[in-house]
Amino acid sequence: MGIRSAFAVMAGKLTAKMLHIMGRGATSLPGVVMLKICPNVLGAMAKDIKVICVTGTNGKTTTCHAITDIIEANGYTALTNSAGANMLNGVVSCFMNAATLTGKVKRDYAVLECDEASLRHITKSFGKLDVTVVVTNVFRDQLDRYGEVLTTLDLIEQGLAHIPQVDLVLNADCSLTSSLAFSTKHKSVTFFGVNTSFDEQSSADISDAVYCIKCKTKYKYRTHTFGHLGDFYCENCGYSRVKPLIAVDEVKAFNAASADVLMSIEDKQYDAKITLPGAYNIYNGLAAAAIGKVIGLDDKKIIASMSKLTTPFGRMEHIPLGDKGVEMILVKNPAGFNEVISFLTAHCTADDDILFGLNDNSADGTDVSWIWDVEFEKLSTRIAQIGGDKQTFFFTGKRGEDLEVRLKYAGFDTERFTLDKDYRTLIQTLKGTGRHTYMVLSYTVMLAFRDKLGEVVELKKYAR
Amino acid sequence: MDRIKICHLYHDVLNLYGDTGNVVSMRKRLEWRGFDVEVSDLSFGDFDKSVKYDIIFIGGGQDFEQGILTEDLFKYKAGWLTEQIENDTVVLAICGGYQMLGNYYITDKGDNIKFLGAVDFYTKASSPRMIGNIVYSTELNGDSPVAAFENHSGKTYLGKGVEPLGKVIKGFGNNGEDGGEGARYKNVFATYGHGPLLPKNPVFCDSILLTALKKHGVNDLSELDDRIETAALKNALALYG
Repeated sequence: MGIRSAFAVMAGKLTAKMLHIMGRGATSLPGVVMLKICPNVLGAMAKDIKVICVTGTNGKTTTCHAITDIIEANGYTALTNSAGANMLNGVVSCFMNAATLTGKVKRDYAVLECDEASLRHITKSFGKLDVTVVVTNVFRDQLDRYGEVLTTLDLIEQGLAHIPQVDLVLNADCSLTSSLAFSTKHKSVTFFGVNTSFDEQSSADISDAVYCIKCKTKYKYRTHTFGHLGDFYCENCGYSRVKPLIAVDEVKAFNAASADVLMSIEDKQYDAKITLPGAYNIYNGLAAAAIGKVIGLDDKKIIASMSKLTTPFGRMEHIPLGDKGVEMILVKNPAGFNEVISFLTAHCTADDDILFGLNDNSADGTDVSWIWDVEFEKLSTRIAQIGGDKQTFFFTGKRGEDLEVRLKYAGFDTERFTLDKDYRTLIQTLKGTGRHTYMVLSYTVMLAFRDKLGEVVELKKYAR
Repeated sequence: MDRIKICHLYHDVLNLYGDTGNVVSMRKRLEWRGFDVEVSDLSFGDFDKSVKYDIIFIGGGQDFEQGILTEDLFKYKAGWLTEQIENDTVVLAICGGYQMLGNYYITDKGDNIKFLGAVDFYTKASSPRMIGNIVYSTELNGDSPVAAFENHSGKTYLGKGVEPLGKVIKGFGNNGEDGGEGARYKNVFATYGHGPLLPKNPVFCDSILLTALKKHGVNDLSELDDRIETAALKNALALYG
């Protein structure tokens, strides 16, 4: 570490300390200060560490969490950033927090969640380092910010262009993601994927990548999981899915908080339990397993780790509010929300209430029209079947009314709607129902709601 | 009662910003009033041109897909769609679907892409994108302005015989210059408003439905309980009006 970067780390720590004294929480300011003093401070701090970047539209946080679980369960140390700090300043600050006063970071791995648009700023400092990049998937997300899915893919390509020595870990089932194996330079590629369909009639809505990225012919699918993910192929130009090295061959059971699967690593098959809720999390578990393979763990250790994965902040997080508690679920885009709808359709009973919360701040996406791409009709049909006439549907957030309209047109009974934009009174209401509630919230609603929940119940701390 | 037929043109490509919600809104508001509704998705390739639709809906899409789309448009749909418009079929076109009805599109490289030419206007690429909540006035939405969301890089300029659909109160509209938003021609309603447009602007939805229902001898619509829709509209106007 050079004098300049060491000085930058000290200045960063001092800034953080001052902010703390002033009663301000972690902000991006220390990172800003450090980068001003030494633009390459990140590269200097990461010099002796193996870096794993995780990017993609959905599953970044859960995948980082799962990777960290695997790494730590196998005796290594890791530093990781929080979801709210996935841009350059946040990454710099997270290294700074882990560094000694002289700027040394004593960890084996850095597991970094990287915003798709920020990846290129972050990888700029990693040009000569040992770097692995996981790309979970590319879906439509906050289009008002990135424009289109191809823009997102292009941003990731720009990020990878800085690090031709990278070991790539890619979702084989996403035609957009797996194209990175052909469009970028890299040292190696490890594919993960699912070799089976999740349900029979799931092919209805392949909408984010319908046409071949190379020749614009409509893709065909041998198997299909959700969204545009599956065993795709193009009849015209031959672009097709690569057989994944790490895969789920069969799903034996989807449980409320885990899935029993038959998993293969290279050509060996194993029974495994992936302890993450929801079908979509199978992919996040597999991404972590692929990292296990890349860092050289043996198959048995990888399979054993799958059954010890835990969910991060806001991803089906249980909070002990009232008698039955609440589960908090974060939704960010149609693909993720549809998977939550699938989960609720399978597991919601007449004894569960549901709270839906939507803001339109930039972290949520300023355009709320995406809620019309979410298949609430599926859930409404299910709810009519279970006959939950005691169920209440709560709405909150700046655009809670828009959700009410959406659910009305999906066939929900509006007599059971309750809108309350005051989080404090809403929490008291939920506490008093004596019933269990699923809370399905957009990002900034979740942050603010969790804050207010912290006034009445003990919450887990999520800083690592 | 006659069956009301809605055609969702290029439903699998022009579906970027929840615009399908407009079809849901039209269908539900007809069904709640006892009409029999049939929605037909019409995608690429040849199709049965003898079916008479009451309403044709065209949504917005990604640039990547516009290329595939214009090829199909000129091969299979252009003559038919122009004829439907000339014969006073109701057409609701949003964003990319709106631009497609015009004469041409000038790309950022200066290339001229030929479009349908059914309505006299053209669109020119510009930068930066025009993104954000939009509020505009139009008599189609009764006493209230329309609240929607726009996201387009093209600036649209209307020809002489084409009226804008509304007047911009907040946002960009057609080009951010002349205050006009959308286009009216015969029974074509074209706009940059996503949101989607109709669920939150129920009076606008009913105006479109009523235009289409006149052919069936229906001249007024029974009232619906729109408290939830109106509350959402008022909320959006309070935030962004």
